[in-house]
Amino acid sequence: MFYVGFLTSSLALTASAAALILVIISLFRKQTQLPGATVLLTKLSFFAHTAALLSLMVMQVLQDYSNVYVVSVINPAMPWILKITALWGGQTGSLFFWSWIVSLCVFLALTGKKRLLDNWSFLVVSLNQILFLGLSLVADNPFTRVWALEDGSLVTSLFAPQAGAVVERLTNGMGLNPLLRHPGMVIHPPLLYIGYALYLVPFAVGISTLARGSQSEHLLDQTRTWLLSAWVFLGAGIVLGSWWSYDVLGWGGYWAWDPVETASLMPWLASTALLHSLLLERRKNIFQRFNLLLVLLSYLLVVFSIFVTRSGLVNSVHAFGESSISIPLLVFMFLLLVSSAALLVWRWKSLSSEWKFESAFSRDALFLYTNIILIALVLICLWGLVFPLINGALTGVEMTLHRGFYDRSTTPLFALLVVLMSVCPLVGWNAASLKRLGKRIWIPLIIAALGLLAVFLGGVRQAWALGGIFIVILGFATLINLTVLDAQAVGLKNFPKLWWHQRSRYGAWLVHAGILMIALGIVGMGNLSASIEGTMIPGEKMPLRGYEIEFVSVRESFENPEYLTVTAETVLYKDGKEIARLNPAQHIYPDREQYITIPDAHATLRGDVYTLLAGYDVDVPYITLRLSDNPLVNYMWIGGIFMTAGGVLAATLPGKRSEREEETQTAEETLDSTSAADL
Amino acid sequence: MKNKKNNKLIIGIVVIAGALLYLVISSTLSQSQYFMTVQELKAGQAELVGKNIRMSGVVLGDTIAYDPQTLDLTFEVAQIPGDHQVIQDMGGMAAVLAQAAHDPTLPKIQVHYKGPRPDLLKDEAQAIMTGALDEAGVFQVSELLLKCPSKYEAELPAQSK
Repeated sequence: MFYVGFLTSSLALTASAAALILVIISLFRKQTQLPGATVLLTKLSFFAHTAALLSLMVMQVLQDYSNVYVVSVINPAMPWILKITALWGGQTGSLFFWSWIVSLCVFLALTGKKRLLDNWSFLVVSLNQILFLGLSLVADNPFTRVWALEDGSLVTSLFAPQAGAVVERLTNGMGLNPLLRHPGMVIHPPLLYIGYALYLVPFAVGISTLARGSQSEHLLDQTRTWLLSAWVFLGAGIVLGSWWSYDVLGWGGYWAWDPVETASLMPWLASTALLHSLLLERRKNIFQRFNLLLVLLSYLLVVFSIFVTRSGLVNSVHAFGESSISIPLLVFMFLLLVSSAALLVWRWKSLSSEWKFESAFSRDALFLYTNIILIALVLICLWGLVFPLINGALTGVEMTLHRGFYDRSTTPLFALLVVLMSVCPLVGWNAASLKRLGKRIWIPLIIAALGLLAVFLGGVRQAWALGGIFIVILGFATLINLTVLDAQAVGLKNFPKLWWHQRSRYGAWLVHAGILMIALGIVGMGNLSASIEGTMIPGEKMPLRGYEIEFVSVRESFENPEYLTVTAETVLYKDGKEIARLNPAQHIYPDREQYITIPDAHATLRGDVYTLLAGYDVDVPYITLRLSDNPLVNYMWIGGIFMTAGGVLAATLPGKRSEREEETQTAEETLDSTSAADL
Repeated sequence: MKNKKNNKLIIGIVVIAGALLYLVISSTLSQSQYFMTVQELKAGQAELVGKNIRMSGVVLGDTIAYDPQTLDLTFEVAQIPGDHQVIQDMGGMAAVLAQAAHDPTLPKIQVHYKGPRPDLLKDEAQAIMTGALDEAGVFQVSELLLKCPSKYEAELPAQSK
């Protein structure tokens, strides 16, 4: 298996390098059409890469403990699914996996119906692909084996480190870190990686546009699907990571402004801005420069994020340990940054920069405000990440920013974004429409006011929470109201057809609804949650708001060969009535001197009543329990689903302008005669 | 006419940029904290009392005491270097942690934290703590972050045939 993996991965690198050389030669001959041999070689490289990846997976599943990576992440007690996904559970494997995802995207870009890549853009993707595969194979080869020297000591190496050394097959492995054995962690990294990698292709097309000096008109058409998919994957990955953290890291936090989290949010924010201004470019042919800038920025931020995760320069729970790839990554990042900036400056004048707004309160203007806020958020995140480094370099004193920095500086901006999002669908595309806003807003406004009243009577008094809930309901009611108006306009019978034709619009609404829900969840967690901790003996009860929790028993059991399971049995009462039995638990890994807490929650649409086993004694018996009331938290996850679904829906619209226009034209004609004409 | 519009735009940009700058600068000033090693903290003990500090050190397993009734968690951390280059030169973080945890000559400091005992708290773990030094010289931690994956990833297990 070693030879299969080693040879195929080396072949992949060689084929990619050869493809790159061919393209460079072709570029010197001033050709832009991709040579056929390059395409073949790249495909060959992808298949070889895939074979190498599969062989590593096979080694993991078959527990080949002569492989160092297998030893570090696999043990016999792990279920087979985790044995497979351990591929991205450790630094070595995940770098290799990431390089494969990049290869996959390059492959997809070459196989699409219409060829996306020319020589210039291929040069860009190929350099990226070779860099990551090269880093993986040279700096941290996943096929490295364990060798026993003649004196009996063990070393790691690809090939015999000295004469007489033999491959050593260990009898057991370390196994995956228990924190990573969670469904969220099984799919969170691949989603994130796919999202990241998908930004590469639009980036390359953008660079090529600049290098060739052609108009960027087609940029949008060519890369719309890529950008949307990237955005969907990245967004879904972030929400899943957040859920994992809420569910596993024990203390119920969903977002900690950890450097790695922050870094992954940045490309998402930048491309959210991009998606908005691309829409303006399509409608009004403005913002060309800005859009190119954002296309380039999105991927640059991806590389920055990878750098933050893997360089070890930033203290973070998620970051891998320090590694040898930080210098090459840093150099590469600067190379990309400098060449992107240089190209932009060079071509700046040739890009259209028409800029006209009819009103400060048209939808165009709101889009612009939205984008200014999004970019400001990116800059704040960037500042938060680099401030410690800059400050350290300038003053020699190491300082960091507390998460309060982010909370304080981003909350007003996020709040503004949510407000904009709520009113935006009401505002017309064109002329100032305060009047029509007034006409359309009253139904949602009444609903929101009623909702506010209900929440207030329900006992909520915090100003932020009330304001947040009001805005979210307003936004939600607006979207529903507009949908109903559309349906009325074309008739219920025709509505599904309209809905499908106009799916980029309804997709966007779904996304907005999802984000409003996420905002609701954040308001709930940030302003309305409460918790209590206490130690209880059997029969004792602990109160929190209208709830009471009773401790029944605690027991230890060996359900899994690897860990001891401690389960507490508790009963949750609301207003004196039993509503749920909750079993918060701990898994104790004696070999690792580590344990993880498994919370249990009574989850409803109102929120979670969340229990955490903080301490216990089976003999006394007693438990220490943390009981939290987390109102509205589940809207975060539901919102994530909405957001993803909406993004997918919008992404299914054909990428080519002509096809898309055919589809939407009929729909727009229908709508033209209705009140929704301007949408 | 056009100039008027431009002026408006410029004023708008200035106002927005000003608000943003205020937000960022004030947040930076109020939320930044010294990142220190145990040694630096001990050296400047007198004037650092009460200041918001972030500190990194290695957990000494034998000193961990946890009262599940009151959720009082105390332990000692020992000095590890703060400089990445130094850590690299010493053979990487895993090696530094393993060595520092068993070196009695290194400076140590007592740490107190109130809350559920974190899953990753154990001997040789790297603790990244946010908090402040109290009068008694105990580091009162408000935020406790633990890292110890590198030990499991970077090294081969001590295992023989």
